Amino acid sequence: MTLERNTLLVALVGALLLPFAVTDQYLLHLAVMALFYVVLATSLNLVVGYVGEFSLGHTAFLGTGAYTAALLSTHAGLPLWITVPVAGLVAAAFGFAIGAITLRLQGPYFVIVTLAFAEVLRLVANNWIAVTNGPMGLAGIGQSGLTDKREFYFVILALAALALYLSYRFVYSNAGRAAVAVRENRYVAQSIGVDPFGAAMQAFVLGAFMAGLAGGFYAHYISFVGPEVFQFAFMATIIIMVLMGGKGTLVGPIVGAVIVTLLEEYLREVQELRLTLFGLIVMAIVLFLPNGLMGFVARRREQHGSTILRNTPAEEKTV
Amino acid sequence: MTAMLVSASAAAPAGVVPTDRAGPVLVVDGLKVAYGNATALHGVSLEVHAGETVALIGANGAGKSTTLRAISGLLKARTGTITFEGRSIANLAPDRIVAAGIAHCPEERHVWPGMTVEENISLGAYLCRSKAEVQRRVGMAFHRFPRLRERARQLAGTLSGGEQQMLAIARALMSEPRLLMLDEPSLGLSPKMAEEVFEVVRSINAHGVTVLLVEQNIHNALSVASRAYVVETGRIMAGRRSEDLRGDPDLLRAYLGG
Repeated sequence: MTLERNTLLVALVGALLLPFAVTDQYLLHLAVMALFYVVLATSLNLVVGYVGEFSLGHTAFLGTGAYTAALLSTHAGLPLWITVPVAGLVAAAFGFAIGAITLRLQGPYFVIVTLAFAEVLRLVANNWIAVTNGPMGLAGIGQSGLTDKREFYFVILALAALALYLSYRFVYSNAGRAAVAVRENRYVAQSIGVDPFGAAMQAFVLGAFMAGLAGGFYAHYISFVGPEVFQFAFMATIIIMVLMGGKGTLVGPIVGAVIVTLLEEYLREVQELRLTLFGLIVMAIVLFLPNGLMGFVARRREQHGSTILRNTPAEEKTV
Repeated sequence: MTAMLVSASAAAPAGVVPTDRAGPVLVVDGLKVAYGNATALHGVSLEVHAGETVALIGANGAGKSTTLRAISGLLKARTGTITFEGRSIANLAPDRIVAAGIAHCPEERHVWPGMTVEENISLGAYLCRSKAEVQRRVGMAFHRFPRLRERARQLAGTLSGGEQQMLAIARALMSEPRLLMLDEPSLGLSPKMAEEVFEVVRSINAHGVTVLLVEQNIHNALSVASRAYVVETGRIMAGRRSEDLRGDPDLLRAYLGG
């Protein structure tokens, strides 16, 4: 708990100093995208890592947020300070509605139905031309006076810090522990009075809220939103980040988001092989580091810790 | 008060189900439960009186654990009624049943291995919203189980089997139940450790908590329970006082192979 908090604080300080050390616009863009993915991976991790259900529909909330911000900005001319929070709230409302249906399901059923919701929203975005402008997307989203990449960097850093703060509060709250209790053993959790649906719902709505914030930011930063925000490719990227970094840890998704963002960028050189290499990396992680990089680190620490325990007279036969 | 109840039931005539003044706290009547098409319980009826320790004994797969799960709401009953302290609980959600005063300690002593002992215990008071009250109950649990206090910061997965069972019981007690249901608390424990677990059960009962216990080990069960029901293929075959069951080797042999 304290280790996790301290790591997060160190990462925050590092992230705050970064734009003063890096002035290259391209590198700053990479940093913005990395932080954007940190928010998304952190939000997905609440569902995948803590509730323990595998959502393939997280882009539903990213896309809802992005379209909300885009519409508010292009039609009403509202600035980013208003559109992004509203995007989060709208996505949270969608999360509540979708969660109310999907969280009654478990395992493969949950996976398929969440995926279906994202796909339905993609079709709506593609075909409801009067509102979404169809496949042409919404262009010319205002940047609210933010011109410099550095300014965008601080905005997304604030959002990432907020997402991690909310996650931290959730994970170490009663509701967070209850969600983990359900993940580990549903029956036992119910036997102490946990309502599995309620615990999962909190995580799901919170995750949707964060993904909506990220989507709202994305709309302003790229200044264009099209139906591809709902696409599975986005989803795959976010999942790889969570799995690589380590689901069920707060630091894992950050590590995963940074590594995958950089990999995606630098593997552009070998364009054709990019996805193949990606697939191989994912397979290697699933086979050799099933709990991701942070899970690996945690296990090493535990092994180290248990050797200390073994030196104390812990092996007593009576209770 | 508990001592009075115990002596009252001991004084009841042999062969008669003792009815103490407090009356039954739990009445299960005609309970039927099915897993899909497979019927697991064919109409189970039983009563548990305030301050008693009652055991359900029977072979593997007889329906003992299913009965407990149906009472705690983890399984839905097809038909039948479950009444706790005069109130029907058959259709309540599991968390409402915990709130009503029934705690269920599931079999195989499931603890959350990745959480510390203290986290496991405090989660047991999940429905209690007052932090101070949770702290008080954690203090009581550590007072009752000093070994767990020593291990408070350790991960629950590093505890021995007996310690994990103690932890599971301590966690179940955190909701301050009036009825504690224990599912096979001695499973996989050494005889010595099992005896310690039953000593804890006796002491919990002596503090006024009614206990409904599922056991495969008849001798352990009869040593702690005042009454026992013999369960066989989803039916109650007999309900007797423990002394009477012990004195009826034919019945025990017929249903329990012992």
